[in-house]
Amino acid sequence: MRRISRRLRHWTARVLELPQDVVFDLPRLTMIGDRQLHIENHRGVIHFSPDRLSLRLPNGSLEIAGKGLVIRGIWAEEMFVEGVITQVSINGQGA
Amino acid sequence: MRVTWFHALRGFVTVRISGEGTERLLGEAAADGIELLHLRRTSRGELECIVTAGDFFRLRPHLKRTGCRIRIARKSGLPFLMAKVRRRKFFAAGMALFFAALYLLSSLVWRVEIEGNERIPDEEIFAAARAEGLRPFQWSFRLPDSAELARRLQGALPGAAWVGVEKRGTLVRIHIVESTEPEPRELLSPRHLVASEDAVVTRIVATRGRPVVKKNQRVRKGDVLISGILGSEGNFVTVPAEGTVRGLVWHEYDIVSPLVRKAKTYTGERRTVWHAVLGRRSLKVSGFGPPPFEKYESVLHQENAAWRGIVLPVGRIRETQLEVRYEERRLTEREAIAVGLMQARADLLRKAGADAVIRAEKILHRRTENGKVYMKVLFEAEQSITEERPLVQLQGE
Repeated sequence: MRRISRRLRHWTARVLELPQDVVFDLPRLTMIGDRQLHIENHRGVIHFSPDRLSLRLPNGSLEIAGKGLVIRGIWAEEMFVEGVITQVSINGQGA
Repeated sequence: MRVTWFHALRGFVTVRISGEGTERLLGEAAADGIELLHLRRTSRGELECIVTAGDFFRLRPHLKRTGCRIRIARKSGLPFLMAKVRRRKFFAAGMALFFAALYLLSSLVWRVEIEGNERIPDEEIFAAARAEGLRPFQWSFRLPDSAELARRLQGALPGAAWVGVEKRGTLVRIHIVESTEPEPRELLSPRHLVASEDAVVTRIVATRGRPVVKKNQRVRKGDVLISGILGSEGNFVTVPAEGTVRGLVWHEYDIVSPLVRKAKTYTGERRTVWHAVLGRRSLKVSGFGPPPFEKYESVLHQENAAWRGIVLPVGRIRETQLEVRYEERRLTEREAIAVGLMQARADLLRKAGADAVIRAEKILHRRTENGKVYMKVLFEAEQSITEERPLVQLQGE
């Protein structure tokens, strides 16, 4: 049953050309240079320090490394990060 | 995201959260819809963030669950400011009072100025303005507008052709343009013109009234020249007689003219003496010793020190001593007569008026005695001989 629903959604997304994040509950990251990062659809903070920020995603986690990281705002599903961002990596994100 | 004026209006606090489960707290808070802003780690491992005053209290239960401790670092925004104001009631009251006073005092009329009037006295204009309510310490908002005020003032001031009222802050300026009025007529009461001297009339012109005498007629002092009564007996009007009457008048002068004249002359010798002045006292500083002249005149010239138009009580006096010599001059008899006649003529013109003309002069008698010339001279002068005599006795009839 799950397989069928997932395949249906795949098909719908392809046919209707819907953005993938809307359909599959994926995070959307918008990055402006190395100084601003806007994350939508996160599932909470795992760790936060000036050098490292790790977030829980619906499927896996997001690791952000940098210097002087500051969370400018945090809401239920959104987050806005500022600072010098050196690395962004996503772990265990399977569709 | 950003601290906006909306946050400032609602009030927000900067808090420091310490404890192990700060990350978990963030997740829970976000899920609960609590907005956290400007999160950062301090050097001591605390989490500093900004939260609105309302959300701060909603954060409480999450803290307990995650075992975090919270500390308020700073409070900002309007509610906290108001609380501060509430504590300092008199300060706030003073501030409000200041603005109220500023507003009230600037809506008063402090000064009324008048411009452009020459004949209409200031007091009359001020009185008219006062009657319309325009006076110092009047509220501006109680005054009608300038055009209306100007119109009413013009009604109250008949001598003004135009009135303008200009309001500049707390100063009200009234501009006046005066109407040009014809010269008022001189009010005259009925009168005759009579002779002021015994004379022979040479010219008579009556601009008003009835001429009674003719040219070349002899008149005595007090005779009517131009009558102010018009009409016949029992049916007349009285008018103020006007006109010019000139006549030949004889003046007799007894003149004494000395043959020796004293005249003062300067020899040209001079000496300068300086005095220092302090207040009302002066002290001689140079030119000591008795003056080297037998007779002299002193000319004093004082100079005071001054600074920017302020005269100081310190100065100096320059005294110039000029040597004089009195000279006696002998005149011949003819010269003495000429001088005497000249003086007599000047005296005559002074008495008879500037428009008098000397028609003839005759030395009746002359003798030289005791170094003086005695003369009796007759002048014949043509002059105005009119004098006014009011017609008082006829008024009642």
